[in-house]
Amino acid sequence: MQIGTKKKVFVAISMMALVAGLYGYMEYTRGSKDLLYTKADYITIAKDLIKEFEENEKAANEKFINKIIAVNGSVKDVIKDGDKFYTVMLGDAAGTSSVRCSMDSNYQPEAALLQLRRNVTIKGICTGFNADDLLGSDVILNRCIIEKKGSE
Amino acid sequence: MKKISLTIIVFVTVCSVLEAQDKFYTKTGKIFFECTKSPLEKIEATNKSSTCVLDIKTGRLQFAVLMRGFEFQRALMQEHFNENYVESSKFPKSDFKGEISNNNEINYTKDGEYIAKVKGKLQLHGQTQDVDAIGKIIIKQGRVIANARFAILLSDYNIRIPSLVSDKLSNSVNIIIDCNLEPFKD
Repeated sequence: MQIGTKKKVFVAISMMALVAGLYGYMEYTRGSKDLLYTKADYITIAKDLIKEFEENEKAANEKFINKIIAVNGSVKDVIKDGDKFYTVMLGDAAGTSSVRCSMDSNYQPEAALLQLRRNVTIKGICTGFNADDLLGSDVILNRCIIEKKGSE
Repeated sequence: MKKISLTIIVFVTVCSVLEAQDKFYTKTGKIFFECTKSPLEKIEATNKSSTCVLDIKTGRLQFAVLMRGFEFQRALMQEHFNENYVESSKFPKSDFKGEISNNNEINYTKDGEYIAKVKGKLQLHGQTQDVDAIGKIIIKQGRVIANARFAILLSDYNIRIPSLVSDKLSNSVNIIIDCNLEPFKD
């Protein structure tokens, strides 16, 4: 092999190693995506989403878990915990079932301003379904952002 | 006859209302865990959507948590946790069913801090094991705050640590529970 060819091979290998290293580092330090800039996998309404889980939890788990869902529904409750962390409940005020939206830490102030019974579209990652005889059933979304505020 | 039926209905309603008042709950309970072995890499996550129900009359305590709800700082770590360790698709939920064994020592009508000895069964990754923990019940203005800190072993729940990461990941997992419970209104 000529010296020129050897040099080219060396440079190519070094470049590949650098790119691989950079990719590995970026992948290792990768944080969670900001859902405001991420397209939803499913767009639905709270009532329909709850119904799908209540009718067939297994099938709904396979369809929705770990997927980004934009859900439209009426604000049933806004819960603030001790650390000022907000959870927004969407659904029928009279029913025990709801879509429970655990808000992204970067979008907490927006949740604080939500008004009860207002229609809103919230986007989040579905983590599953919790059904309880006493407490009712909830579809749970994590890292939620408010996509659209609507009317009462 | 009508009078008897009405009395029965009233009695059943009153009983269920009284029973409901014995229960405190949250759907936004926090469960934090860490299993860091190397100081260079923190392995920890928090779930802010766990469900907890406490019956203050009997001391019965129940938790339910969705495994996908644990949030890590690094997305890759979260993916590995769900796919390789707890296998969230196969075992989406974990739950604890137990009781406060010294429930009669806790005065739920008086503000203060009380030691709670908790015993029960923890189901995780398809395995169920007995768990004992010393927690704290704080009574504050009609609310019940339940705190506990305990440790479990991953090996007890059939969660294998690959040798490649055995220097980073501890088999012993420290768990911290922080639930702010409110009275259940039917």
